[in-house]
Amino acid sequence: MARQLKVDMGKIKSECEFARDLGAESIQSVELVAAFEEEFDIDMDEDAALSVKSVGGAVKFISDVMKQQGKLS
Amino acid sequence: MYKNLTAEQIKQLQQQGCCAQDWKLVRIADGFDAARVGNVCFSGQVNIGSQKGTVKSAGGIEKASGIYNAMIINCAIGDDVRIANIGIHIANYDIESNVCIENVATMQTNPGASFGNGVEVSVLNEAGGREVTLFDELSVQFAYLMCLHRYRPEFINKLKAMANKYVEKIRSDRGKVATGAKIFSAGEIIDVNIGAGAIVNGAASLANGTILSCAESPTVVGTGVVAKDFIIAEGASVTGAANLDKVFVGQGTKVGRQFSAENSLFFANCEAFHGEACSIFAGPYTVTHHKSTLLIAGLFSFYNAGSGTNQSNHMYKLGPTHEGKLERGTKTGSFSYMMWPCSAGPFSVILGKHTRNFDTRDFPFTHIEADSDGKCNIVPGMHLTTVGTVRDGAKWPKRDRRKVGKKRDIISFDVFSPYTVGKMIKASSILKALADSTDRAIELVNINGAQMKRVLLRTSQKFYRTGIEMYLLEKVLARGKTAVEGGIEKLRKSFAADKDAVYSEEWVDIGGQLMPGQRIRDLMTAVEKGKISDIDTLYNELLKIQQLGAKDEWAWVKKAYETLSGVNLEKITKEEFLAAAEAYLAVKTKFLKLVLGDCEKEFDSQSRTGFGYNGTVQDIDEDFRQVRGEFNRNEFVLTMRKNVEEVETRIGKLKAKITACL
Repeated sequence: MARQLKVDMGKIKSECEFARDLGAESIQSVELVAAFEEEFDIDMDEDAALSVKSVGGAVKFISDVMKQQGKLS
Repeated sequence: MYKNLTAEQIKQLQQQGCCAQDWKLVRIADGFDAARVGNVCFSGQVNIGSQKGTVKSAGGIEKASGIYNAMIINCAIGDDVRIANIGIHIANYDIESNVCIENVATMQTNPGASFGNGVEVSVLNEAGGREVTLFDELSVQFAYLMCLHRYRPEFINKLKAMANKYVEKIRSDRGKVATGAKIFSAGEIIDVNIGAGAIVNGAASLANGTILSCAESPTVVGTGVVAKDFIIAEGASVTGAANLDKVFVGQGTKVGRQFSAENSLFFANCEAFHGEACSIFAGPYTVTHHKSTLLIAGLFSFYNAGSGTNQSNHMYKLGPTHEGKLERGTKTGSFSYMMWPCSAGPFSVILGKHTRNFDTRDFPFTHIEADSDGKCNIVPGMHLTTVGTVRDGAKWPKRDRRKVGKKRDIISFDVFSPYTVGKMIKASSILKALADSTDRAIELVNINGAQMKRVLLRTSQKFYRTGIEMYLLEKVLARGKTAVEGGIEKLRKSFAADKDAVYSEEWVDIGGQLMPGQRIRDLMTAVEKGKISDIDTLYNELLKIQQLGAKDEWAWVKKAYETLSGVNLEKITKEEFLAAAEAYLAVKTKFLKLVLGDCEKEFDSQSRTGFGYNGTVQDIDEDFRQVRGEFNRNEFVLTMRKNVEEVETRIGKLKAKITACL
């Protein structure tokens, strides 16, 4: 996340919103989703993934998808 | 029938300050009223019609027809014409009935005038080689073929011959001001034909041109306009001191607010204000509204140029020889810059200062952004589901300003078509090959001068998959839905391609008209062989292709769907058709939700920046709500939501019908 958004790792908190707090523009959001998919070997639904606004929300969303796709027990 | 003036009439005219080189050459129709002619000097053959009524002058004020304060040389003046206060003279014009010409410095036709017809416009390549011949009947398709298809020289020669034949037909020693035209407060008008109902009000200088116009679609040329070597088509307006030199202005196009253009063609429904165009081919719906925007040596259609858009066609080597091609629906952001040669695929969005050449023509709906080094970074397919694309697709047909019977430019409006979807299929295959062959340690991949983050190779394929599936399934369901009630065999038969359809894997965009590649190749061959040898026949053949478009489209959809899905439509099963309906519902809903998601960004906290000035933090939201409204009440949002509901209902009904009937 820090690498994709080019922000200090220490600034990334669960409550941070991608656009407001981490400066993620549309294109970076797309890149972030792509990076998550590759990193966790999952396939995310774009409209659901792009509607996630915060870091905490992303963590939950990704873990849910991983569970659904059998990548996390 | 005209007759000579009587001695009494001549005497009266002389008493009213008139003179003639030879009164015998001044002939009049029944209804001529000598009392309505004053301070006029006649020279050469002059015919004058009846003068009984009134004619509308500037500001819609009715004035008596007649001729006052003018020198008239070799003119035929129709019934109820008003000519007044001509500074120098009107010479060699046929002026039809109900025309009003007031306060004009001079109007003259010189021997052998062609009225802008025959002018060669160095379009797209400023250094030449792609010249398009101007003529009244020029269409975007004719111009596109003449400009772009130089690789078939015999075909180009035939097109030139057609254009030249037309030019010779138009060539004349006499100009024409057609019925109901109004010309007020203008400077010089030399070798200009003026069409029916045209309004020329305050133009500074018009030379060697034609203003095509008709009563149902009057053309307007306004204050301070300077135009030379031009044709302005029906329903167009050229106003606000625009400056044109070797320019075609298409039907329903607006040029104004000091816009200047040279060696450029603007076809139907373009808008060009404030900026500058040089050697551009502006296909239908090309729009540039802002100052400091220079469009040069580019091919555009359905294009929107942001403020300060700039392009270079000159690398200071062999001259201004480079060309840019931005395919239909492309937008360039504020202060975007491109160094030609570049090509961008349809519906791309281009941002930043690009100092490298790139070719992304095979990648539609692409986000194209320059980094700080001027390198081109792309995200193919990203703009497939953006609000802007959806809104654009809906607005163009509604904004067709052409009111004439013959719309010369044939326009295909569809955003999703075999042209764009074919490109998506091709792009997906390129992206897949790259994804399969690129190591995960690689951060960027290169595509024809552009670079792309490797991690996005899969994402872009997903974008395209959405578009491909949505389009193909929509067409398959639309084709099959009426046949369902007739049972499975009728359904299967309904999927057969039409006998007169033409299939080509690759479709082409001929200046805004989409068609299978084979159609245009056949047409070019027919022209080369002399089977099509005049402008009208060529236009009718293109119109026929357009009319067969739905059949050709189905032939393409059928092949693409069968290839991608593995389902033979003419042997489709109930389960497969049901699955297609379910898949369509899923993909269409996903598409609409993505569009809604993009729209929602316009209402997020960042969009509220600057609202609630001089108020409290609480006032920000209220200020925003008052000015921008609410997401849940936004008209576009409501339409999209309604679309979701409509799709769910429609597919629900279809599924029920499939279950019941097959």
